[in-house]
Amino acid sequence: MQRPLDLRVPTSANRWGKLALTLCGFLLTLTTQAQNVEFSKDRFGNDKEGLKTAQRELKEGDGWYDMDPSRYELALPHYLAAQKFNPDNAQLNLKIGDCYLHSGFKPKALAYLQKAYKLNPDVDPTIHYLLGRGLHLNARWPEAIKEYKAAQPNASSKDKAAWAADIQKKIKECENGQQLTRKPARVFIDNAGAGVNSPYPDYGPVISADESVILFTSRRATSTGGQKDPETGGFFEDIYQSTRLPNGQWSSALNLGAPINTDGHDATVGLSPDGQRLVVYVEDNGGDLHESELRGTEWRKPQKLGSRINSRGHESSAAYSPDGRTLYFVTDKEGGLGGRDIYRVQPEGRGPAQNLGPIINTPYGEEGVYLHPDGKTMYFSSEGHNSMGGYDIFKSVYENGQWGKPENLGWPINTPDDDVFFVISASGRHGYYSSFREDGLGSKDIYQITFLGPEKPPVLSQEDQLLASRAQPVKETLLAAAVPIATAQVTILKGTVTDDMTHQPVEATIEVVDNVLNQTIAAFRANAQSGRYLVSLPSGVNYGIVVRQDGYLFYSENFDVPAGAAYAEVVKDIALKKADLGVKVVLNNIFFDFGKATLRPESTAELERLQKLLAEAPTLRLEISGHTDNVGKADYNQDLSQRRAKAVVDYLTQHGVDSNRLTAAGYGDTQPVAPNTTDGGRQLNRRTEFKITGK
Amino acid sequence: MRKIVALTFGLLCTGAAHAQVDTVRATTLPPDQLAEKLYNSGVAKYNQKSYRAALLDFDKALATKPEFAKAYYNRATTRYELQEYQPAVQDYDHAIQLEPTGTSYFGRGQAREALKLRDEAEQDYTKATELQAGYAPAWYYRGALRFEKADYQAARADFDQAIKTDPTYAYAYHDRGSTQRQLGNYAAAIQDYTKALVLQPDLLPALLNRAATRRRAGDLKAALVDYNEYLTKKTDNAVAYSNRGATRYEAGDYQGAADDFSKAVALQAGYAFAWNNRAAAYLKLEDYKKAADDASKAIALNPQYAEAYLNRGHAREMLRDAGGACQDWRKAAELGLEIGKTYAANSGCNGE
Repeated sequence: MQRPLDLRVPTSANRWGKLALTLCGFLLTLTTQAQNVEFSKDRFGNDKEGLKTAQRELKEGDGWYDMDPSRYELALPHYLAAQKFNPDNAQLNLKIGDCYLHSGFKPKALAYLQKAYKLNPDVDPTIHYLLGRGLHLNARWPEAIKEYKAAQPNASSKDKAAWAADIQKKIKECENGQQLTRKPARVFIDNAGAGVNSPYPDYGPVISADESVILFTSRRATSTGGQKDPETGGFFEDIYQSTRLPNGQWSSALNLGAPINTDGHDATVGLSPDGQRLVVYVEDNGGDLHESELRGTEWRKPQKLGSRINSRGHESSAAYSPDGRTLYFVTDKEGGLGGRDIYRVQPEGRGPAQNLGPIINTPYGEEGVYLHPDGKTMYFSSEGHNSMGGYDIFKSVYENGQWGKPENLGWPINTPDDDVFFVISASGRHGYYSSFREDGLGSKDIYQITFLGPEKPPVLSQEDQLLASRAQPVKETLLAAAVPIATAQVTILKGTVTDDMTHQPVEATIEVVDNVLNQTIAAFRANAQSGRYLVSLPSGVNYGIVVRQDGYLFYSENFDVPAGAAYAEVVKDIALKKADLGVKVVLNNIFFDFGKATLRPESTAELERLQKLLAEAPTLRLEISGHTDNVGKADYNQDLSQRRAKAVVDYLTQHGVDSNRLTAAGYGDTQPVAPNTTDGGRQLNRRTEFKITGK
Repeated sequence: MRKIVALTFGLLCTGAAHAQVDTVRATTLPPDQLAEKLYNSGVAKYNQKSYRAALLDFDKALATKPEFAKAYYNRATTRYELQEYQPAVQDYDHAIQLEPTGTSYFGRGQAREALKLRDEAEQDYTKATELQAGYAPAWYYRGALRFEKADYQAARADFDQAIKTDPTYAYAYHDRGSTQRQLGNYAAAIQDYTKALVLQPDLLPALLNRAATRRRAGDLKAALVDYNEYLTKKTDNAVAYSNRGATRYEAGDYQGAADDFSKAVALQAGYAFAWNNRAAAYLKLEDYKKAADDASKAIALNPQYAEAYLNRGHAREMLRDAGGACQDWRKAAELGLEIGKTYAANSGCNGE
């Protein structure tokens, strides 16, 4: 079973609540209130059959309820059946309330708890606490606070201090809730629809950065093996996948099948931004994380992540950084700051995983970590910080070497109950999570959150007749000051890689290079079946994108994404060429100073690639050519392009390439690849390229 | 502010408010006074507002005596009343040629203003102030022209002069107030509007402008007091309701604002501003359907109304019409409200 979230308090209020209930059951006969109606022959003498059935239901319910641990979801239907016969029994109302408090539909508890209290104010010593819970879960903050304050810890309880602390925390949560509901988040929350959701529990959504693919966990009837978990009665978890249709809806979800899904529980945890690597939760060794890779259309058998990630504790959630080199994950292993904590580790590196520290982790639980493709914004859930109850979703931005103070995503995204396992698209426009809601298709469903951003101020117009002698009024627009709108600062580059001749997909490697630092930041692989690739480029870097595959010439693309650049999605389909005679390749990452033939230092990475290509294919001969746009005089352009081509040749010969293998040519503006009528066209025409002249 | 010159015979006195008395004595004139008689007949008809008849008299006077400067002046003034501005300017030209006076220049200035020849009008007013510095209206009208050119410093200097020349000149106080307001001197503006109201309690626009200035100065409460006072005195002004609504809106009273805008559109169904403003109030009241409908109404009245597109975009976004919202924000940007582009870009509009 995936990542159970227990609503556990330091000492279980529920547990001694139950003890108290038993005690009360005995006392009740003495203190029965006028309104309270017992399941007795005195009252129901006329309907002996009905009474018998009701008593049987009660007994069955009690069987589940009194189990250790309690099986609330199994007790509840029996209690509700008994309730139909006699709705006015304080004890039964209390138990139904308690069952609902431990169900998916917690707010329903309140009505029963209130009725229990009305029927008998002494129904249970913890009644004020339970009423507090019921009101709290219905976001009735001030009333909940009142009840919590009335809930005095039992003086004889040895866990008195822990309970008092719990009550204090709950009061604080209500105060947070009061504050957060005053200024609701501007969002739409929509059911993800019948393509994704089913009448069974659907949860744990993970998405690719461009929202083209969603994977999630479901306990529907099509579960692999078709078996039900004897512990909970529901179908075993399986992972399903759905893709975005052109009309914006999700396609009908498909079971991922073997080897991802097994007869047991298989649950989604994290998906890399390009959708090619999946982390799954496996109930093994206290709960461990496994990783699977998509090759073509096949997910490989999940491999257990190493011991720097998995411990004997419970590892439950994970997310990749956009470069794929860092994994953020959640574990409750010893040595943390309390409850579950978030850690980070470089799977390829060394040394133990690092706890993210007290800015993020609290003495309470943290869960459901997700890293935005901008590489610096983390979303996670926590029971601490200013949660309004249970787990709330928070966001923190990594700046100046540290994580910023987590910000509660606010009401109505967060509720008094648990809000966990939230993911967000690269655009920052859509989030996904699961929730119990009245408008759902049954049980837990996956919902899409649309973030509308800060309120867009309406604009009023006013006019005044400012000159007494004139009838002409003067118009003025009362425009409120514009509010800064933070958009995701990341560029998503995606497309397909194909063979230039056959147009077949190529499973190429896509390297992302920081041109200034001459460092490879990340490497991805295009999908073998579709040739699709996706890379996230956080703003603030001049990127070289190098696509390569054995047997092909490399392809280079340049993306300069300045700091602060807003979200953009760029589709770039790449055709890789074989090293045939006459083939031309543009070197997009060679840079010259304006109007000069001096190579800029950012060109080094590209020049080294060229050097490597020549070293690997010793018979290869190249013509290096310079090209310009048609701005300026033709002979000047020809000369400049010649000198630039020569600069590249000189670099290569200085770095050990035999000069007989290279020629330099300056073509000026005579070989345009695009019309010179637009900026974009002229930019394409200003280029350095090579042509294979011998092999 | 029209003036007309009359020659007085004996006790004949120009009692009409429009006429200015000239003190030429008939007894000193030569015996054949046909032109003068016709002229005076014209003045009398002018004062009775029989402008066509007056015009005939002045024509005849000038036929009799072609060098009669005052007759040219009066015929110009009469033509001005008949809104025949071009011929009026020609007559003023003759009058000025024969006898350049401050009032002739002033009169031509008025006629040229009516012909939208603002620079020429300003030159005439300048000449008038030079020839007749004590004539307050010349300062005042030049100030108004300079105000309209947004040359508020110069306008204020002119209104200062007008007030100095005529300390009871309510219009000058009023317009100086507006100038101060444009210059951001709200306290001085409020003072001037107040003075204008003391001098001329029925100058109700001063109340509206004082309200608007108080609002700009952040004193919404005092602004509402002024609007309320105005609206008890004058209940048929859609603009006043709309402006009070905007103030209520700013004070956070969105329902009160919507009520005012409703009154404004009830009084003047073609008042696009009020429809747009009510759309804004409905946005705040989260009644997005009504907001979109009102904004549409404003756009139907004025298809170039950028603000209404912007507001309708907001409403459509909340009504889940993302495509419509994007279209409206872009249109608003196209019409000059740049922020529309930002909204479109940040709301996932396609192609941004």
